[in-house]
Amino acid sequence: MPAPEKSNIKLGLFVLAGAFLLILTLYMIGKNENMFGSNFALKARFKNVNGLISGNNIRFSGIQVGTVKGIALIDDTTIEVTMLVATKMKPFIRKNALASIGTEGLMGNKIVNIQPGEGRAPEVAEGDLLANQKATNMDEMLGTLNKTNENIEDFSEGLKIAVRRVNNSTALWSVLNETSLAPNLKASLANISQATAHADAMMNDLRTLIAGVKGGQGSVGALLTDTSFAHSLQEATARIKTVGDKAGGLADELTKMTGDIRRDIDSGTGTVHALLKDSSMVRKLNASLDNVQKGTAAFSEDMEALKHNFLLRGYFRRLEKQQKNAGQSP
Amino acid sequence: MIPSAKFRRFLGEAGELSAFAGRFFSQAPRPRFEWEELARQCYTIGYRSFPLVGLTGFIMGLVLTMQLRPSLVSYGVDSQLPVMVGVAIVREIGPVITALIFAGKIGSSIGAELGSMRVTEQIDAMEVSGTNPFKYLVVTRVVAATLMLPVLVILSDAISLYGAYIGVNIRSVTSFSLFFRQIFDSLSFGDVLPAFIKTFLFGFAVGMVGSHQGYHSSKGTEGVGRSANSSVVISSILIFIIDLVVVQVTDLLGLN
Amino acid sequence: MEPVIVIEHLCKRFGPNIVLDDFNLVVRPEENVVVLGKSGVGKSVLIKCIIGLLRPDSGRVSVLGQNVPDLGHDELDRLRAKVGFLFQSNALYDSMTVRKNLEFPLRRHWIEISQDKVDAMVMEALENVGLAHTIDEMPEELSGGMRKRIALARTLILKPEIILYDEPTTGLDPVTGKEISTLIVEIRKKYHTSSIIISHDMHCVKLVSDRIAVLVNGKCHAQGTYEELGSSTDREVKQFFE
Repeated sequence: MPAPEKSNIKLGLFVLAGAFLLILTLYMIGKNENMFGSNFALKARFKNVNGLISGNNIRFSGIQVGTVKGIALIDDTTIEVTMLVATKMKPFIRKNALASIGTEGLMGNKIVNIQPGEGRAPEVAEGDLLANQKATNMDEMLGTLNKTNENIEDFSEGLKIAVRRVNNSTALWSVLNETSLAPNLKASLANISQATAHADAMMNDLRTLIAGVKGGQGSVGALLTDTSFAHSLQEATARIKTVGDKAGGLADELTKMTGDIRRDIDSGTGTVHALLKDSSMVRKLNASLDNVQKGTAAFSEDMEALKHNFLLRGYFRRLEKQQKNAGQSP
Repeated sequence: MIPSAKFRRFLGEAGELSAFAGRFFSQAPRPRFEWEELARQCYTIGYRSFPLVGLTGFIMGLVLTMQLRPSLVSYGVDSQLPVMVGVAIVREIGPVITALIFAGKIGSSIGAELGSMRVTEQIDAMEVSGTNPFKYLVVTRVVAATLMLPVLVILSDAISLYGAYIGVNIRSVTSFSLFFRQIFDSLSFGDVLPAFIKTFLFGFAVGMVGSHQGYHSSKGTEGVGRSANSSVVISSILIFIIDLVVVQVTDLLGLN
Repeated sequence: MEPVIVIEHLCKRFGPNIVLDDFNLVVRPEENVVVLGKSGVGKSVLIKCIIGLLRPDSGRVSVLGQNVPDLGHDELDRLRAKVGFLFQSNALYDSMTVRKNLEFPLRRHWIEISQDKVDAMVMEALENVGLAHTIDEMPEELSGGMRKRIALARTLILKPEIILYDEPTTGLDPVTGKEISTLIVEIRKKYHTSSIIISHDMHCVKLVSDRIAVLVNGKCHAQGTYEELGSSTDREVKQFFE
């Protein structure tokens, strides 16, 4: 046994270390719960506090400023939350600040968020009632998500039925199994593709041309007096015309082809569906059709622009009584 | 019948222990308190247990952290690891593990010491030397155990949390101040106070059971061994029972 | 002279075992009385009743004119300061040094005693048993005979009027046993103590006894000097002297 005095010193150190740690812990917790330092009360009313309890944190623009002191039911739709906020935060919180109930992290404790309001307002006083703000609420978010899910469910149900029908159609499968049909169809599709690509290129030429005309609107009169330009424009429109005709023929051809396919199949319920089954073919056909569509759409758009331009030109002509043969309306 | 005989023996033990506790409460407040002996016992029971309790506390904090990490990572909340470990250590694991270690070390040593004093008539010798052996031996030890275990638990908690801090830093990096801020932010008085109060009860139980077993040790060295053994067994069980009761009471009081 | 210990009709039982049954004994001043009996017949119980460690079921145990079972806590403590008890197992406090062991009863009985006085008395008691050099050793470092003498020194330190010896030579070798027996005789000479000595070691009994009481079946079966009992024809008495 060591000398009693030495052991008593060690014992004293030991006990004091324990007492110090205990007091430190209690102080740290007390500080967190705002038991030390001065506070003032703020109030806010909510329809639903979403499980907020006394002791939950108050954040002002994300900074920890206090804790919830009490929650009282005022009437059947109003709950008053009393908050204890550190006095040193008082100058920063204005009367128009908005209180909302939020969550720490995704599933953490509830908190009260105080956000500064718009514009200027005097600083808050003891016991002030803050306006509240509807916060993005996890439950409501989940509610919306639920609706979306239901929609997706309906959609996938429809898709499922469609796919089942396709699967059950023996006629369709026979078409797809026909070996001679595929190369033919592929060849014709290649043709269509080529033709429409061609048409598309022409459209592009024309579109650039018209863009030029459009862009030069300020000096359009001057441009239009240039006869060589007028000539090339005339040529261009003529070409456009042929392209338009060709495109019309193309569309006819396509109709014919689909008609042929339909005839080949006998029962005509699922032509398009059948084509949709072969993905490479479908992609090609789709691309072709898309091209045709785009081509014709662009074409008509271009025509419209031209027409407008010629009207404009007519307007200039009437004004200046000059240049009668600048072009003809298509 | 054997079961009923066993049950009667159990009841007898419980009754004796209660009577012993009653004797403690009736004798402890009487004058001529053995302050010097109390300080000596506090030194032996408290200070001398510190290295063992500190070491186990450190390892416990470290291991608990490393064991909890995978499940928290699987939920993507490994940033909450300090909170989880902190609450677990402060509320339950720190007090109970420390108390069990304490029961193992102190319960057995009190049981064996008083047992051998009883067997070698030292307790009788004290009595004829004008000393109340109950006050000199039992009261001082029980009070020392009751007062020292809370101190040990606080220190062990602190060391455990430091172990946990190292455990967190093995796989990721957190700053010392962030780690402790996270823990203290998540703790409330409802976490700390019941945990602190129950350590007094644990200490009392260990001191009481050890003293009772030793003081009423039967003759012979075998009796001394049995006293030491049953001190540890009974006080360990009592620690869990007290833990169970305290959690129910704090729950009823709404402190949880 | 007034007897120092008077035991009348003492009865003590533990559960169904009757240990002492109407036991009577008188010890006069400066008399060494040996209580002789087989192991487990309740000799220790007898002297524990005298010092108040056990409470008799009935009968009177009068020590220095006071009936022990009637005494309150404080009176008993005051009486115990005048009665020394040498335990069979020595009962040295093994957490304390020899010095602390000897100081313990001093400080307990005489609270206001000065440190110088304590030191002087400790040294005197140790010198009486010839072990002054062991003062700072722990009991476990000493041999059995030394421990017995330290225990005797601790018993002597309060200068008791009565000393109760519980089997003082049991467990010791014959030479050490004889040393202890001689010490007992010397102590009586030096301090004029009265003693009850419990023993079944006949060498010791022969050396120390003024009178012998034979304890059989809880009763004082026979009394007399060593020589008287040695020539007794009683079967119970005779077996001790064979």
